[in-house]
Amino acid sequence: MSSILKINNINKIFINNNGSDKAVLQNVNFEVEENEFIVVFGPGQCGKTTLLNIIAGLEKQSSGQVFIKDKLVEKAGPDRAVVFQNIQLFPWLTALKNVEYSMKIRGFSKEEYHSEAMKYLELVGLKGFENSYPIKLSGGMKQRVGIARAYCTKPDVMLMDEPFGALDAQTRYLMQDEVLRICNTEKRTIVFITNNIEEALYLADRIVVMSDCPSTVKEVVKIDLTHPRDRTDSEFLRLRKEISAMVNRKR
Amino acid sequence: MKNRLSDNKYKMIAFINIVVVITVWYLLSEVFQVFRNGMLPGPNVILETFISKLNSKSPDGNTLLVHIVSSLTVVITGYIIGVVIGLPTGIFMAWYRPIDYLVRPVFDFLRCIPGLAWIPVITVWLGIDLKAKAAIIFVNVFVGTVVNVYSGIKQTDQVKIWVAQIFGASHFEILKRVALPSALPYIFTGLKVSLGMAWLGIIAAELLAAQSGLGYMIQVARNFGRADLVIVGMLTIGLIGAFLTYLLEKVEHIFVKGRN
Amino acid sequence: MALKIRNEGVRKFFWGFLSIFLVFVLWYFASQLDHMKNLLPNPINVIKFIGISVIAPIGKTTLFGHLYWSMTRVMTGYILASIVGIILGFFCGWSKLGSALIKPIYSVLRSIPSIAWIPLAILWFGIGENSKYFIIFISTMLIIMTNVIDGVKDVDESYLDVARMLGTKENQLFLHIVLPCAVPQIFNGLQVALGAAWATVIAAEMVRSSKGVGWLILMGQTSMNMTQVFAGIIVIGLVGLTLALIMRWLESKLCAWNIRGK
Repeated sequence: MSSILKINNINKIFINNNGSDKAVLQNVNFEVEENEFIVVFGPGQCGKTTLLNIIAGLEKQSSGQVFIKDKLVEKAGPDRAVVFQNIQLFPWLTALKNVEYSMKIRGFSKEEYHSEAMKYLELVGLKGFENSYPIKLSGGMKQRVGIARAYCTKPDVMLMDEPFGALDAQTRYLMQDEVLRICNTEKRTIVFITNNIEEALYLADRIVVMSDCPSTVKEVVKIDLTHPRDRTDSEFLRLRKEISAMVNRKR
Repeated sequence: MKNRLSDNKYKMIAFINIVVVITVWYLLSEVFQVFRNGMLPGPNVILETFISKLNSKSPDGNTLLVHIVSSLTVVITGYIIGVVIGLPTGIFMAWYRPIDYLVRPVFDFLRCIPGLAWIPVITVWLGIDLKAKAAIIFVNVFVGTVVNVYSGIKQTDQVKIWVAQIFGASHFEILKRVALPSALPYIFTGLKVSLGMAWLGIIAAELLAAQSGLGYMIQVARNFGRADLVIVGMLTIGLIGAFLTYLLEKVEHIFVKGRN
Repeated sequence: MALKIRNEGVRKFFWGFLSIFLVFVLWYFASQLDHMKNLLPNPINVIKFIGISVIAPIGKTTLFGHLYWSMTRVMTGYILASIVGIILGFFCGWSKLGSALIKPIYSVLRSIPSIAWIPLAILWFGIGENSKYFIIFISTMLIIMTNVIDGVKDVDESYLDVARMLGTKENQLFLHIVLPCAVPQIFNGLQVALGAAWATVIAAEMVRSSKGVGWLILMGQTSMNMTQVFAGIIVIGLVGLTLALIMRWLESKLCAWNIRGK
């Protein structure tokens, strides 16, 4: 099976104002297959978002390449839709218009983008809120719009950057189930970033385990548990312990 | 690196642009004489007028420097009085509820009246001497200061006030230690806006009734049809206004930065 | 909830009424003092004066006539300034070339207070309507330009990134992201500029005019008719208040998505 997304030897070095440099990503390699749910898990604040931004084309890597369907990534584009942690909806557009935006700007017909956007808003459970401005929506609702927007972009890969990091624990559990439900309704390739091991285990087909600063891939773990997963199941807990140990292990 | 290069490119364009504008201006007004009766004298004439006005007393009876000093004296007097009275008024209006309720409606109406509209009243009451002009500036400055200080204090974070209350601070202490410091940026905005208003006010007052000052100078120059002198006056007014704002920004920098 | 809001409204009305009433009473008694006779008019006479002047002309025309002249001057200059100011502001804020071309001249002009244009405007355009249009135009245009430039500069870089990610081409960014993003700031500029236009027209009419509310108060001063001066000032304030309320209402309609629009 050929992989849809290939991360090839990515390095990223930040240069501080005082001239000293700091490596945040070091020789990162992994591949993602079509319709796979990949979770990139790692502790701390180092590197993961940078990696995602590089895949998205929002930041430039210091060296290495990213390939989508064997095509080199050079700048941001609608083949890789991002769901941001801080959501980033356009505040001047209604929920519906936010979801419609990408298809509209790329010249699809009105009937097409309207019906697609309505479909995805309904999929994320926001029917009835089409005409609300983001300022009137709660954090969880905004993130649903963000997911619908990413879906409606029709990307090859969806990139999710700790999308539930800012939500309260209750909403977070709910949104995790929602994401699985949405993904089962319409299959997509997803790269999901989190620093929460439980979230990673609950969602992932495979987990890319990363070390802290400079981040590098420790191991890629396949998770064979069946959905819906039980967070207190003994196998779940064993994996949780194992992966935690991987991260803490000194190299 | 690439960015800096293109920045330099645009600096060059800006520079060339200025040169072109001045040259075209010179050609149009002096060489081809397209403007009738010297309505827009060339840049060289403006410069000559500026230099000669430093010594010449015609047609308005004073040199440029005397006019500048005259305008500045009035502005600074009126401005300081306006700020000194306006600051506490704004603070008390915002901080003590009964005063807020009672004074605010009148104030909401007063701020809709441009300060310049009071010129006739003040002229009748106080004449046209320094006292009267300072009073016009005062009205302009007072309203602007109060409005900004008031809204600054009203924006104080309620949580911070609660925290201070829990630690047993008195109403006055909260004002001093919480509300005022957090209102400082607004207060400085108010001071800057008022300074602009003061400078505008003095020009208006001098246009209407005066024997000296930059506003008077351009008014007389207009009567004599001296467009060159009018423009010299306008540029001087603009330059001094910009300089005053710059000074105030320096002061703001010291105060606000000291807190961070 | 509804009850509370209503109480709030009643409270505001009560205090507003009380406060205006107190000022009125104070004003009345002050005007009765002997040495104030020629300086402070009786407020009752002022109100009567406003009432009468709606029908009876002062100078060339009635109160509404003067208002009509002042408003025509304001609106002509202001509308023209809005169009030109918004276009130039965007050009200057969005395009580096535009900035390089316009900024230097703009910086010089902006530092000159609106009132200082009056003599030059009279020299250039005579004492007729054109000079007043010009003064309003130049002063409000610079205010609007400043706000548009700031609005464009404040556009969050991350919105541009998101837009690119969603497939927006570089030449579409302006229309779809920058423009809507800058609307609240532009509106703020339009609001401030309208207030400034109103103040400027008063000044221009005081300096040289034969009608308009600015002329009205200056005439009151020359003929020592303080009742007329105060009547004029109150009318000026009322118009200023109305303009501000209209702009605020428009903002709440047009910028509903913005916090400031609330």
